[in-house]
Amino acid sequence: MAKAKGKTEPVRILGSLDKGKDDVDRLVAASESDIILDFSACTFISVDGIEWLEELAIRAESKGMKVRFENIPPAIYKVFKISHIDCILKACGAPSTAIGPVC
Amino acid sequence: MVVSVKSNDSAVDERANNLVRQARLAAAVFTQYSQEEVDKIVKAMTVAAIENAAMLALLAHEETRMGVTEDKILKNYVASEFFYNQIKHKKTVGIINEIPEANMVEISEPMGVILALAPVTNPTSTVIFKSIACAKTRNSVIFSPHLMAANSSNMAAKIVYEAALSAGAPKGFISWVEKSPRLRKETERMMVHPEVDLIFATGGTQMVKAAYSSGKPALGVGSGNTPVYVHKSAKVSSTAMDIIISKTFDNGTECPSEQSLVIDREIAEPLLSEFKRLGCYICSDEEVEKVTAVVIDPRTGGMNYRLVGQSANKVAEEAGLDVPEKTKIILCPMKGDIRHHKLAVEKLMPVLGYVIVDSVNEGINRALDINYAGGTGHTAGVFSEDDDVAERFAEAINAGRILVNSPTSIGGLGGVYNNLNTTLSFGCGTGGGNITSDNVGIKNLMNYKRVPRRKNFTYSFQTTKNIYVNPGSLDHLKGIEMKSAFVLTTTSAEKRGHLEMVLDRIPSDCRVSIYSGIGAEPDFEAIEKAVAAINAKGADTIIALGGGSVLDAAKIIRLLYDYPDADLKELSLNFFDFQDRMIEFPKHMKTKLVAIPTTSGTGSEVTPFAVVKDSKRHRKLSLVDESMLPEVAIIDANLTKTLPVEITRDTAFDALTHAIESLVSTFANDYTDGLALESMRLIFEALPEVLKDPENVVWRHKLHNAACLAGMAIGNASVGVNHALAHALGARFNIPHGRANSVFLLSTIAYNARIPSKFVAVSNYPVWIADKKYARAARFLGLIDSVDSKKDDPEAVKAAVDALLKAIADLARSTGQPMSVSELGVDLEEYKRAVPMMVAGTVEDMSIKTNPRYAMMDEFTQLFIESYPPREI
Ligand SMILES: [Fe+2]
Repeated sequence: MAKAKGKTEPVRILGSLDKGKDDVDRLVAASESDIILDFSACTFISVDGIEWLEELAIRAESKGMKVRFENIPPAIYKVFKISHIDCILKACGAPSTAIGPVC
Repeated sequence: MVVSVKSNDSAVDERANNLVRQARLAAAVFTQYSQEEVDKIVKAMTVAAIENAAMLALLAHEETRMGVTEDKILKNYVASEFFYNQIKHKKTVGIINEIPEANMVEISEPMGVILALAPVTNPTSTVIFKSIACAKTRNSVIFSPHLMAANSSNMAAKIVYEAALSAGAPKGFISWVEKSPRLRKETERMMVHPEVDLIFATGGTQMVKAAYSSGKPALGVGSGNTPVYVHKSAKVSSTAMDIIISKTFDNGTECPSEQSLVIDREIAEPLLSEFKRLGCYICSDEEVEKVTAVVIDPRTGGMNYRLVGQSANKVAEEAGLDVPEKTKIILCPMKGDIRHHKLAVEKLMPVLGYVIVDSVNEGINRALDINYAGGTGHTAGVFSEDDDVAERFAEAINAGRILVNSPTSIGGLGGVYNNLNTTLSFGCGTGGGNITSDNVGIKNLMNYKRVPRRKNFTYSFQTTKNIYVNPGSLDHLKGIEMKSAFVLTTTSAEKRGHLEMVLDRIPSDCRVSIYSGIGAEPDFEAIEKAVAAINAKGADTIIALGGGSVLDAAKIIRLLYDYPDADLKELSLNFFDFQDRMIEFPKHMKTKLVAIPTTSGTGSEVTPFAVVKDSKRHRKLSLVDESMLPEVAIIDANLTKTLPVEITRDTAFDALTHAIESLVSTFANDYTDGLALESMRLIFEALPEVLKDPENVVWRHKLHNAACLAGMAIGNASVGVNHALAHALGARFNIPHGRANSVFLLSTIAYNARIPSKFVAVSNYPVWIADKKYARAARFLGLIDSVDSKKDDPEAVKAAVDALLKAIADLARSTGQPMSVSELGVDLEEYKRAVPMMVAGTVEDMSIKTNPRYAMMDEFTQLFIESYPPREI
């Protein structure tokens, strides 16, 4: 989970992401390098889950780090799409839009 | 109210943004829910609503001082229990509808964030209803309550939301605008908020208009003005009781409730007496004036909002009327032309206008007057034991729900008195400026994703039922059951002795009439003459003896003999899909058709096609239908032995073109391929031999079979561009059909073997394989050494197609068949001038429908031009 010799290890989100993950928060606090979240084993995401991800991305950005989401299952990706939150979409690799989401 | 947000009120913006953002996240999360999870939430919400039905009704009444608490309780039950019972088993997640016959499924997609308005008249029931509907459809909903009912509306929202949360619903999927002086502004802000997906407006006309003018999709519902026609056949007691139940329900706040009665004179007196007996008050003319003065707002001409949902006694008191205590309804006779009567509008209180009429027509017309005075698309009612009257009424009135023999208000809600969808939102269609005339419900809160699978394509193979083959098979005529035969033939068949051969074999007890006046290319007139002849003589069997055009003519003559009213021009209407055509032929012919070909070419004896010339309009009409198929074909080469060499060659090349075109047709299949390939093989083998020794019946027989096999192939797979070009050339320069086919053959094969500039869009032709089909023919004919493992290599395919082209050119050269237009003696300049007209003909030709390449007009032009000079192959 922690970074190994400068190389970032992805953090796997397991099952239902229905609240914030303290260990990831700690990782962001301690880490200097980019954060990669692997969603391949994520089965559900709640409103709190989305909000935590948003916060994570904002905090990382303020530290000059990047957050990247990988292996996102379509059902979860669709939640991100509908949520329409810029920093989360960016973490999914989307180009930042000029107009940007409203929320 | 017009929505225009130029507000700089950042507090309003922030609150609106927060509500919408919360709703959007919840909508996103909701997409992950299964049907079971959703149904669990809906159930919990319904239970909570039922548990709080009375409390919420009380609260609503206290806050709004409108309506009747007891009735508001019932409305809360309608919005929860009744509604739940209707939707509990409905699928709203995943595949919600399977339509196997259309090979299609429908999958739901939530609408997203819904801004829902709740009216002052139904502040709690509307919220309960919309919340449950949104949960069932996985939408988020933000309620904007009426300022005068915000506390009760928001309480209802809170109760169902909390129950939903406990059952696992996404956080924030129900929210509401708090009561404040800025409530309206916040609502306006959200109406144009980019993250709101739909506005679900129920309420005053202004609110609905605002919703529609927001530029967002909106489910708005219009205002009503319900006319109720009481026909003389109505049952007096139950009619009076139903109307009282309905109009007093929640003191008349329900918009589908009765507004004006139209009563047949025969029943007026007893009905009014019954109203009176049951506690209604009937006004005198002077009293009507007084009531009108308080019920109608003189500034707007509409109802006085202050009296909405008030009791009859309260209205009477305001009007200065002395009415008995607990009066149920104030009934007002409307004198004069009701189109000008002030009371003939919507009055959401227990005040009911009425007018007396003398006929059903007058009754419906007066009801239309009410209907069109602000109530189009909404609700109407009719009381009649004569169902015909009810139907006539319903046909005339413009209303989304037309209730028969039942209360219009509770009836309109659906579920209690009938099987209408339960709702508190009445769609009024375009009559009310709405998109739907539904009782709005879950159906209107989902997007429908239709997932059509490709059409299943099934082939059928049709041909003539009895085909007698071999030289001498004409003897089979003896065994055919017939009592009266009409022999259709030409003078040339007579001269060649064929007619005599036929007559000799017709059973002696069969009455025979002969018609040999059918010309080479019969037109309508020739056909009509023959039809007159058969009508005069009568026949149970038509024996057609001759070439393709005689056989074609016989098919049409039979059609007109059996069905004198058949319209040939209509039946020859062009079509795109020959398996599913617009026009319908008679299913079965009554007269038997025996086809005896004397040429080896068209194969008409086994095809469902018939072509007839329309001399007046210089065109040919094609008739195609399975019913045109003859019942019997006799393939007897003794009849082709004396066929002149030139006609033999021309007709053989017609048959060859049939085989080649059907092989690559978009409708080609394993059944037609076998026939086409074998036909080609027989022609390549037999034609040179026949031309060497025309009287040799064995080779004649092979050629005769080839034409018949190719006929079966085109009868089921049809032809292609080559025929379209040949038809146009033949018509313009009077070239025999087979010869016209042969001059284009080398060009069209090369054309179809190239990757199309445009593919054909038909479901049964998923892969373009024309080049490979030609290559298969080349292998089948032994024109190339076939190395099976490499047969599909592009180069191998190209070599095979070239070999086929060369073999056809060689066959033509060795038999003397022209392969280019120039060889037909057509003048080049005249030909060039004719090309545009010929192209126009090909575009309309039904032959191109099955060509493996979608033929473009410039390509037709090119094909015409390149087919002129002598071939170099
Ligand atoms: Fe033909």
